[in-house]
Amino acid sequence: MPQETLRNFMKGGGVSVIVGTVDADGIPTCCRGIAIASKDDFDTVTVYVPSATAQETVANVATTRRVAISCSHPLSHESVQIKGLTRGVRLAPAGDEPFVQASLDEFGAVLEQIGLPLRVTRSVAHWPAFAIDVSVEQVFDQTPGPKAGQAIA
Amino acid sequence: MKLSAISRCFQGVIPSIVASSDAQGMPNVTYVSQVYLVDEKHVALSCQFFNKTRRNLDANPNATVEVYDPVTFQAWKLRLRFLRSEKSGPLFDTMAMRIQAIASHTGMEGVFRLIGADVFEVVRLEKVEGFLTGSGTPEQDEVSVTGLRTELRGLQLVSERINRADDLETLLAAALDALDVYFGFKHTIVLLNDEASQRLVTIACRGYGGGVGAEVAMGEGLVGTVAREQRVLRITGLDEGLRYGRAVRRSVLSDSSSKPVRPEIPLPGLPDAQCALVIPLSVEDRLIGVLAAESRDPMAFGEWDEAYLGIIGNQIALGIDRVAQAEEPASAPSEPHPVPVAAPLKVARPRHTVTYYKDDDAVFVDNEYLIRNVPGRILWTLLGQWKRQGRTAFTNRELRLDRSLGLPEIKDNLESRLILLRHRLREKCPQVQITSTGRGKFALEIGAELDLVER
Repeated sequence: MPQETLRNFMKGGGVSVIVGTVDADGIPTCCRGIAIASKDDFDTVTVYVPSATAQETVANVATTRRVAISCSHPLSHESVQIKGLTRGVRLAPAGDEPFVQASLDEFGAVLEQIGLPLRVTRSVAHWPAFAIDVSVEQVFDQTPGPKAGQAIA
Repeated sequence: MKLSAISRCFQGVIPSIVASSDAQGMPNVTYVSQVYLVDEKHVALSCQFFNKTRRNLDANPNATVEVYDPVTFQAWKLRLRFLRSEKSGPLFDTMAMRIQAIASHTGMEGVFRLIGADVFEVVRLEKVEGFLTGSGTPEQDEVSVTGLRTELRGLQLVSERINRADDLETLLAAALDALDVYFGFKHTIVLLNDEASQRLVTIACRGYGGGVGAEVAMGEGLVGTVAREQRVLRITGLDEGLRYGRAVRRSVLSDSSSKPVRPEIPLPGLPDAQCALVIPLSVEDRLIGVLAAESRDPMAFGEWDEAYLGIIGNQIALGIDRVAQAEEPASAPSEPHPVPVAAPLKVARPRHTVTYYKDDDAVFVDNEYLIRNVPGRILWTLLGQWKRQGRTAFTNRELRLDRSLGLPEIKDNLESRLILLRHRLREKCPQVQITSTGRGKFALEIGAELDLVER
């Protein structure tokens, strides 16, 4: 069921991705992700974060491993949150760049519909990027409303 | 770096992100609908639902918020420490206003509301270096001294126009015209408070091509919320706020056990407004009406606009009150003066059927709704006298004496009701016109054959 939810949610792209981590002292931080993908039907996901802005995030997952990834559709505010553990962090290979670029373009196209010009989203740093592999431990409904925070079983 | 230097980031145009962590060190990351700049050392986050972030803060007071400049898209990180959650008071009321208005507009009043204004100390403010490649978008120019002088001059001119107006229609037309010319408020509406019906009725508007007569119930939508609370509401990123409200609405509707919810209330003006500034028009504690301005530019209205429109709103409210008092009889009214009787015109003219529905005082022309309530009764009375006696000249005074019209004893708003009637006739039945013939006098001009039907 969580896998099915994630599969349906990611269809069509244009998803906003944000990543939350925490350091060894319990100080949380966040950064924007550029893309998210899965090669095993969402048992694990790979989230791409720009190396320019994700140094703190990468340092955190290297020490505490815990990750929260929120994915949302900007037009409808429908959102899910993945909680998981880091399985590996690597500099994303050049072969992944077209996918990351395409994800940013799809996101930009969605934001353009709500008034943010394409030139603005295109100016966001996205490459080089770190690829963080995360096992999907739990998935939560995060759409604003009384059901936000409910686990998707 | 001062927090006020990035004040644009707190206008709610681009959603901010908040990261928190529970006692076991599991992070949580989510969007937050409102980051409110309290002062140079503190911000407050809106808490609408008892969510994970809220629970985490009780276990671990550390949080990080990332905010975005809506013009340049530059990201900034605020390292925060949770201090307290305020459930009442000025901060709570200010933050609650926006949420109440959005909730009411989307039919979600009571479903989502501000539970607490969570106040944080800002431990550190950091620019997210490298977030943007290249130059991004150019910085918006700061307000120039020349611009401020123009606005002050505009304020003076608006005041003069309002003070010179000796009737309500002139006053409102002058005020809205001046707001457009001197301040760039292209889309404005004035609604007057009808205490008897607990509704606000649009009495004047600019930039919409019609709309006079449109009504809003007290407490409903952006305008109704401002009227009920008698507080200013400035919403930037209106579209974003409404999308949030609609997401809550869909979530509630998807729950089969939820109670029925009322439909969304249409915005009174622009269907694609991105920014709204709504000001209560009050004299002392008495609500006279509401002045609303809208724009398709999400950043159109800033603190300066709020301040200026507030000042002008006060002037308009006082002006409306002054004109209304000038219209009211100074002493107990005596018998009406005789009024001239004009002979009906005998030329071939179009024919219309005017129908009056007694149950709700609604008047229809050829089966199309025209007007209702007190203005409807006034029109029916005037048309009856024209039909029976051929009268075309009337006075405000005789209307005030006519108990059948149901005008309140004090603050009867007769002038505004006549303006409303005049506008509706102009829009829906131009063959029937009410024209002013002097202070407290008017004429009924009829350019059609009218069949009057009462049901």
